[in-house]
Amino acid sequence: MNLMRHEDQRLLTGTGKFTADWNLAGQLHAVLVRSDRAHAEILSINSDAAAAATGVVAVYTSAEVISAGFSSIPSGPDIKGIDDQLISKNPLPLLATDRVRFVGQAIAVVIAATEAIAQDASELVAVEYRDLVPVHSVENALAKDTTALHGNAVDNIALEFESGNKNAVADAFATADRTTSYSVTSQRLAGAPLELRSVLADYDAASGKIKVYTPTQGLLGMRGSLAAVTGIDAANIEVITQDVGGSFGLRGGPGVEHGLLVLASMKLGRPVKWVASRSELFIGEWHGRALTLKGSVALDQEDRIVALKFEDEVDLGAYNCYFGGFVGTNNLSVTMGGAYQIPALYMQSRLVYTNTLPTTAYRGAGRPDIAFAIERLIDQTAAEHGLDPVEFRRKNFIPKEAFPYTTANGSEYDCGDFSAVMNKALSISDYQNFHSRRDTSKHLGKLRGIGIGYYIEKSGAGSAPKDEVSCKFHSDGSLTLYAMTGPSGQGHETTFAQIVGDGLGIDTAHITYRAGDADHLLVGNGTGGSRSLYGAGSAFKNLVTAVVDKATPYAAQELAVDVDDLVFERGCFVPRSGAPGLNLTELAQRYANKAESMVTRSDDDHPFNTSAETTTGANYPNGCHIAECELDPETGVVRIVQYTAVDDLGNVINPDLVRGQVHGGVVQGAGQAFTEAVIYDNNAQLISGSFMDYAMPRAGLVENMTTETHAVPTKLNELGSKGVGESGCSGSLPALSNAMADILREAGVSPMQMPYTPHRVWQHLHRGS
Amino acid sequence: MGRVSFSVNGNPVDIEVEDRTLLVDALRDHLHLTGTHVGCDTSQCGCCTIRLNGDAVKSCSLLAVQAQDAELITIEGVADGDNLHPVQKAFSDCHGLQCGYCTPGMVIATIELLEQNPQPTTEEIRAGLSGNLCRCTGYLNIESSVRAAASAMAESDKS
Repeated sequence: MNLMRHEDQRLLTGTGKFTADWNLAGQLHAVLVRSDRAHAEILSINSDAAAAATGVVAVYTSAEVISAGFSSIPSGPDIKGIDDQLISKNPLPLLATDRVRFVGQAIAVVIAATEAIAQDASELVAVEYRDLVPVHSVENALAKDTTALHGNAVDNIALEFESGNKNAVADAFATADRTTSYSVTSQRLAGAPLELRSVLADYDAASGKIKVYTPTQGLLGMRGSLAAVTGIDAANIEVITQDVGGSFGLRGGPGVEHGLLVLASMKLGRPVKWVASRSELFIGEWHGRALTLKGSVALDQEDRIVALKFEDEVDLGAYNCYFGGFVGTNNLSVTMGGAYQIPALYMQSRLVYTNTLPTTAYRGAGRPDIAFAIERLIDQTAAEHGLDPVEFRRKNFIPKEAFPYTTANGSEYDCGDFSAVMNKALSISDYQNFHSRRDTSKHLGKLRGIGIGYYIEKSGAGSAPKDEVSCKFHSDGSLTLYAMTGPSGQGHETTFAQIVGDGLGIDTAHITYRAGDADHLLVGNGTGGSRSLYGAGSAFKNLVTAVVDKATPYAAQELAVDVDDLVFERGCFVPRSGAPGLNLTELAQRYANKAESMVTRSDDDHPFNTSAETTTGANYPNGCHIAECELDPETGVVRIVQYTAVDDLGNVINPDLVRGQVHGGVVQGAGQAFTEAVIYDNNAQLISGSFMDYAMPRAGLVENMTTETHAVPTKLNELGSKGVGESGCSGSLPALSNAMADILREAGVSPMQMPYTPHRVWQHLHRGS
Repeated sequence: MGRVSFSVNGNPVDIEVEDRTLLVDALRDHLHLTGTHVGCDTSQCGCCTIRLNGDAVKSCSLLAVQAQDAELITIEGVADGDNLHPVQKAFSDCHGLQCGYCTPGMVIATIELLEQNPQPTTEEIRAGLSGNLCRCTGYLNIESSVRAAASAMAESDKS
């Protein structure tokens, strides 16, 4: 039976393999002891009772981590701020030493024969604390006389960052005709991939090699950071991942658990397994977002935007981990002018430590947040000064003719056609007849609003120097493709097979993709920044050419013609003379089995096996999303009744998978807008610690969605494609929030911050009117 | 420790479990049926949904010993040999799965829903899947999958 995706057969029949599905002979189980205090000194840890329990093999605290010489979790890039000040790096230790700084911080790990025994024993570990005053919010962290979390971060500030031209913006504001300011909060979220984070570590003392089974976004990021944490040579670390149950930016590198399990397996000489519980992930995996962005816009008399500035506050959590610093600096600044031609831009952001779980990348990693802030500000400005939100945008868009366009703070947008994209969205959403739908709703006692969000975002430039791919032909005519980018639902196996299959004329059913195969290590980025298609995918397009080049002399020999007399079309080498040709699959099989050249030829020796690469950097997907929502003022319930997404994603390779990415991104944005929030109380205790309290989107949250594309192909990569993975969130946060603001204007009350839960909306309506 | 016997996908089993062992852990750890997944610890996500005597149940919210004499169907037992169940086929056709982690639970919940209500309205589909979380698809293609499966099953009933 032909299924739509290569991945589907195993995932639909329960024969996929996620990390928790692996079990090794003789394996032990780990359970972590985590802090229940937000901020405290550790006076003592008594693990005697736990260690003595039947079935317990070992209990480790920070002493074992230190004596093994293991390091802390990496702190991401050296970001420079104002006056070249470097970001303070306070990395998260694998196990707390003398102080805990957030609820959930790991203190000890118990290793036992079964998970149940380890769980029981973990409750026997007695930790004696002396409580310190917890810093529960950014406001609290910056207040006078607040406790400092770290000695090297004065006033709890990790970095003050700026971008753009401060003086030019100040001048423009001083002479502006009108100005508007508006502040948005992009609340803290849990990424919550449905697969539970898991690790299975298996050390082989004889070879000194360790196998680590775990969900990743790509092997190299996980392996590199794991090498940095453990001190083990990366060549001796094999990361094994087959199926990954979602990742969304959270699983690019190891958590403390990975380091601890490697340590345990090395010390005990046995495989050790850990599978998180969901409650544990709410306090133990990274959080995302947690930003406040205060934007101000200056207009001239003709309603042209002459300057835009932002003051941002970023909650890093208790430690600086991975991309935490990047989210609130680079990713906010690169597209801070949005889709608009603005002569003066300036932003400042302040990255702050609090006694909360560290934050890092979550779907978009700052991109949706800045798109949201700009587009809310645009609508707020239009409303305040009586401008039409469509015309106001159109007037200020960077015109098609202006590309390539360099923004006032130095980003180079290569191409786009924002007016065309918006026109298409306006037409599909039947924007012009909205008023009649609003009247109909009003008749039924409901309030209906419409909102536009025009986002532009910078897809990931990639941290690897290039994206390499390779392939191997097998004697049965099948083909295996290799690259480093690891899928977590995007459909890499399907799309890469499609690119190569279409190019070589091979049935995609005979093409398999392997990510990060230990025997085929290449250079390349993991999945992240929406770049797998245009990075590895472009390299696969180049691979097609490389294979044809390699195969052509063999085809010429078989067909007894000159190389120059052959053309390759639709999978076939055809002589220009019009004589019968030879298809590539048949040719490949012939050379796999060729008797005279084949004493013991293995697949590794096939003459068509080759590799290819690309070095493409970032590009600028953009799009116009239009949301229509309806509020029942009696209950505060808001329905998302109609949603239109028109995206410029460049050339689309697989429309079904692209639509799936847009749907998923839009609904994750809708989750942030309407249901989700990580909430800490004033003691920095987590209130939203399970799916009972943290409301995930469920079926029906977005009732109808139309997705279309308007391609302006980029010349920055071979496919002409732009990133798609994160765009849905970037479009939906502003479109939904502008629709909500429209409703609240209709109701005669001020705008409100996300999430627009029935309770909060109802309260706002009644307090605000 | 105690013994419990039931049938899974038509095969009788008899295993020794702790009293506190959850049914989902018995399936995964004792019987190696790892297609049934665990995604939470508060019976919210539905990744562990199986059929117990025909009902779709969350196997994390039952003890293994409560399944004594029951007939269980897990995702591994849904297809008829190499022939996928129409619901499985529809999920692929409509791109109703991405990472696939929630999919076994979604498929089982859908099969039960369509047995009880062969032509559900959109509202009924949403209610039928309200116990299952998906983080990737945004649910729209899952709803389409359920509608497509309903149509396919109605067609095959006719023929």
